[in-house]
This record gives sequence, C-alpha cells and structure tokens, in this order.
Amino acid sequence: MEALQSIAYGFSIFLTPVNLLYCFFGVILGTLVGVLPGLGPGATVAMLLPIVFHAPPIPSFIMLSGVCYGAQYGGSTTSILLNIPGETASVVTCLDGYQMALQGRAGAALGMAAFGSFIGGTVGIIGLMFFAPPLAQYALSFGPPEYASLAVMSLTMVTYLTKGSLVRGMMMACMGIIISTVGMDPITSRSRFTFGFQALLDGFDIVFVAMGLFGMSEVLINLDQSLKPEILKTKIKNLFPTKQDWRDSAKPIARGTLIGFFTGIIPGLGVSVSTFLSYALERKLSKHPEKFGNGAIEGVAGPETANNAGSSGTFIPLLSLGIPTNPSTAILLGALMILGLQPGPLLIKSNPDLFWAAIASMYIGNVMLVVLNLPLIGLWVQIIRIPYAILAPLIVIFCEIGAYSVQNDVTGLLVMNLFGVVGYLMKRFDFAGAPLILGLVLGPMLENSLRRSLMMSDGSPLIFFSRPLSAVFLLIAIVILISPLFSGQRIREKAIEMQEED
Amino acid sequence: MRELASAFFFLGFSVFVLWGSLLLGLGTLQKPGSGFMSFCAGLILFFLSLALFREGRGIRESRKALPARRALIAMASVIVYSLVLETLGFIVSTFFLVAILFHLGEPRRWWVLLGISALVTLLVYLIFGVLLQVYFPRGILAS
Repeated sequence: MEALQSIAYGFSIFLTPVNLLYCFFGVILGTLVGVLPGLGPGATVAMLLPIVFHAPPIPSFIMLSGVCYGAQYGGSTTSILLNIPGETASVVTCLDGYQMALQGRAGAALGMAAFGSFIGGTVGIIGLMFFAPPLAQYALSFGPPEYASLAVMSLTMVTYLTKGSLVRGMMMACMGIIISTVGMDPITSRSRFTFGFQALLDGFDIVFVAMGLFGMSEVLINLDQSLKPEILKTKIKNLFPTKQDWRDSAKPIARGTLIGFFTGIIPGLGVSVSTFLSYALERKLSKHPEKFGNGAIEGVAGPETANNAGSSGTFIPLLSLGIPTNPSTAILLGALMILGLQPGPLLIKSNPDLFWAAIASMYIGNVMLVVLNLPLIGLWVQIIRIPYAILAPLIVIFCEIGAYSVQNDVTGLLVMNLFGVVGYLMKRFDFAGAPLILGLVLGPMLENSLRRSLMMSDGSPLIFFSRPLSAVFLLIAIVILISPLFSGQRIREKAIEMQEED
Repeated sequence: MRELASAFFFLGFSVFVLWGSLLLGLGTLQKPGSGFMSFCAGLILFFLSLALFREGRGIRESRKALPARRALIAMASVIVYSLVLETLGFIVSTFFLVAILFHLGEPRRWWVLLGISALVTLLVYLIFGVLLQVYFPRGILAS
C-alpha cells in the first residue's frame, strides 16, 4: 500500500511537460544507440553527462535512465534485420530473429521483441518499486566494514565476469582505485598525486574519465574498422504477433522476466548473461529444440524480455545501495554524485522525489518505447544506413563541446581526450574498461570505509570477519577469486562465453 | 609481445605508485594514512603485473596488428584541439578538427571537405553557441 502511495507521488512529480520531454528524449536516444552498432548505452550516458550540469536533477536522471533501458529496445532491430547486434544484450536475438526475417516474418519478430521488452521492462520496474526501498532500509544498518566488504565483493564480481583474463581485469580494478585516490584525501585533506596541478585537487572527474574511456575510445577504435552493415531487403509487415505466436511466447516471456530481473541485480552478470540463460533454458524446455536457430519465436521472445527485465534489475543495487553493476550504472552513479546526491541507502529516504519520479518515468518510458518503436522501425533502418565516416566526427565534436561546456575550461576537455587515448590503448591491448570505471567509482567508498573500519577496530582487520554480513560479502569475494583454482576457470569461461563486455 | 609490454608498463607504474604512497605516508593499521589505499592497490597491481609477465612469456603472437593510422591521427588531433581551443577559438579549431575527422573517415575532394567542415562548424555553433547559449572561446576571432 505504501508503495502504491509512493508511486502515485512519483507520478505527480513526473507528469510535467519538461519531465515527459526529457523522458522522451532519453528513450529515443537510447533506442538510437541501441540500433547503431558500435555505440553502446555506456558511451551515450557518458557523452550526455555534461547535460547534468545544466539541467535540473530529476529530468536529468530520468533522461539518463531512459538511455539505459531504451537501448535494450533498439538492439533487437539490428539483430533481426541485419544479423548485427546493436548491443551485446541482443546477440542471442540474431540467432532466431534473423532467421525469422529471412523467412519473411521480420514483422512478427520485431513485434514480439517489442512486446516482450515492454512486459519484461514493466514487470522489472514493479520489482524495483517493491524491492529497492526495503533493501535500502535494511542497508541503513550497514557500517563501514559492511560497505568496505560490499565494495570488494562488487569489484570482484565485475572483474571476474569481465571478458578477458582475470589478471587483466583485476589490474584494471586496481588502476581504477589508484586513479580514485588522486586529489584531496577525504580524511586528512592532504593532496595526493596532484604534482602541483590545481585542477587535480578535486581528483579525476568521473564525467571526463567516462566520456573518454567509453565515448571517445569507442569512436577511435571504430575508425580503424569499417562498419558497413548490409541491410536485409524485406518487407516489414504484421508487427502484431498472431495468437499462435503469443501462445508460443507466453511462457518464455514469463521465464525471461524472472531470469532477467534476478541476473540484473547481481554485479557483473548484467543483462547480456540473462539473454543467454533465457535462450538456453527455452531451448532445453522446448518440445521442438531443433527449431531453435531456424526461426523459433521463443528464441526472440525470451531473451528480449530478459534483457529489459535485467535492465530494470540493475537499478536496484544502484538506487538502494549505491552499488553499480555495470559501466552504464557506474556512470549513472557518477551522475547522481554530480547532482549533489549521496548514492546509497539514504538516497531513497532523503530524495524520494527523485527515486519515485524515476520509477514513474520508467513506466511511461516503456509505454513510449513500445508505442513509438514499432511505427518508427522504418526510420531506425534508415538511420543504420548513415555511414560511420559521417557519424564519427559528429560524435567526437559532440563529446568535445559537452566536455568543454561543463566548466567552460579546457582542463576537462584535455582529461577526456587523454582518457580517450587511454581507453583506445586499453581496447587495443585487451584491457576491459568496466573494472576500471567501477574501481574509480567505488574507490572512494572503499577507501573511506576501509580506513574508518580499521580506526573503529583499533587496527584489527578481523572486524571485517566478525560482523556477519561483512563476512558473507568477503566470503563471496574470496570464493569467486579462488574458484578458478578448483574449476580450472570453467565457470568463469562459461559465463564469459555468454557475454561480451557490457 | 603485447603481454610483456603491458606487464612492463604496469610494473613501472605500480613501482611509481608504491613510491608515491610511501612519500604520502602509510600511517598505521590503527590510523591509516593518506597513502594507505594507493599503496595497497599499487602492491596488488605490482604482483598482478608479475603474473601478466609470466602469462606473456609463453605466448607466441602470430596475429597481425590491426591498422591504427587513422585512430592515431584522430587522437593527436583531439589532444591538439584541447590545447589550442582557447588560443585559436572555437570556430577556427573546430573547423580544422572537423575537416581532419571527415577526411579520416572517407577521403574527399578538398573543396567538398572544406565545405562540409564549414557547414558542420556553423551548424554546431548555431545550435550550441546561439540556441543553447553554451560559452565558446573566441580566440583569434575576438575583436
């Protein structure tokens, strides 16, 4: 009942022309980046971060969240029509979606993907609405040891499930933590690693680092590769699935929702893994597994539902604990900090307007997506035709203007461009960006809580094991780290097989 | 080779961080100092770099390196752009950056390139500078 009152409050805040416009802009932009291969939601949220400095907090957050969940809708279009996943979370949709398109059923595939996404996304938001506030309430009892252990566990999980070698992932997490220590020491106010540069006293701003690592580097790496998609020439008709399609897809949609939602909550797993889990499960449960890979609608409905439910799930640890589970939510966390909000269990209590308005916006955003996406599929197909040679310079210019406009100063611009180069080199040398950005975001929380815990316990590290919840978090982290020794990396490799870096 | 190069870089970097952290002061376990966190992360990075070095020794790379000319020019261009933006001003520096980036994407005749660059710069200036009131440095065009 309390949740219903709160969501009514959320709608009363959200339903203003300005908020609706920001929501619309966010979901449309999200769909656009979902459609465009080579540009992900993380990069887009990073590039849009400067807007946070110029717009009010609630509309800004509504828009950035819209990009995150909107991208899951757009990804399926390219998977079905081009056999190229716009997003990693849509890789699986290629398997049956493209086959359906070849058989002249592109409309049914696109329609079912959209309706499945809508159902998954909406049920996910209901879960977010009911799970996040009690979790945040519970987390109020967390002390510094719990936070330190939670940060360690989140970093370990993300690193473990990042594509590439575990050693490299851990190195990047350490790099993120080291970079996070640049600037003023929060306890002693002593400057660290600033080398006399005044601009570094506040540390590396997440805005510029994220824009460089995810936005600029993606453009730079794509400059070396040719992205010329071949578009399937097929007539898109009958976007509304038939009764038989609904009968075949009902259970996969229900199962996809549950799988997506719960995998979205777990750090590191993200939405990509949920799509593979859903596909594997549907194939296993199907009476006609031989149809999978040859145009089975269940193979589109399940994973497409899962990725949207997962996208809603990722907001639970973000908004209730202040723990991001993937790069996009890490950058969203940065946005919250820029807005002067303190991400963590107190966020919902101290900023109920932002939390409930964001939830309300997600309901409306999902409706906008399903209503707008189906009629606009023709437009999205045209957009895919824009050559990357034209798109890339425009993205770079947009990043440069965005970075400069934050402080009307070239320092941020320089930091962004330098991190763009760093991100490019990381991609060339197979180092993942996700652990670094998470290390950078979680670093201050880890450092503060680690140092405070040690002060509390008079220097005894046993404090992390003597408190039950902290001990559980650390135990999970330790099990994850030593598991390759016993399983020969099998679990990890299997999980990574199921996802590309988010 | 890539593994070894990465390992050497991070080994050097971690030693630098460890040294910097020691200078900042590690404090004690009862009262950790300013360099405590970076020292811990630097130490882990040091050992991980050694592990990467060990991994890299056994790898024989036959993979052909990806071309990087266009990305290198683009990287140099954006860095130079950051450095000259305030001196040359937004319009002049953006015009040149757009021209370089469009040329990297697809070589065109010089007059087409200059025309596109001028058009894009003008549109960007009108949208962001005039419509959205973003402040841009005028540089050499300031009178």
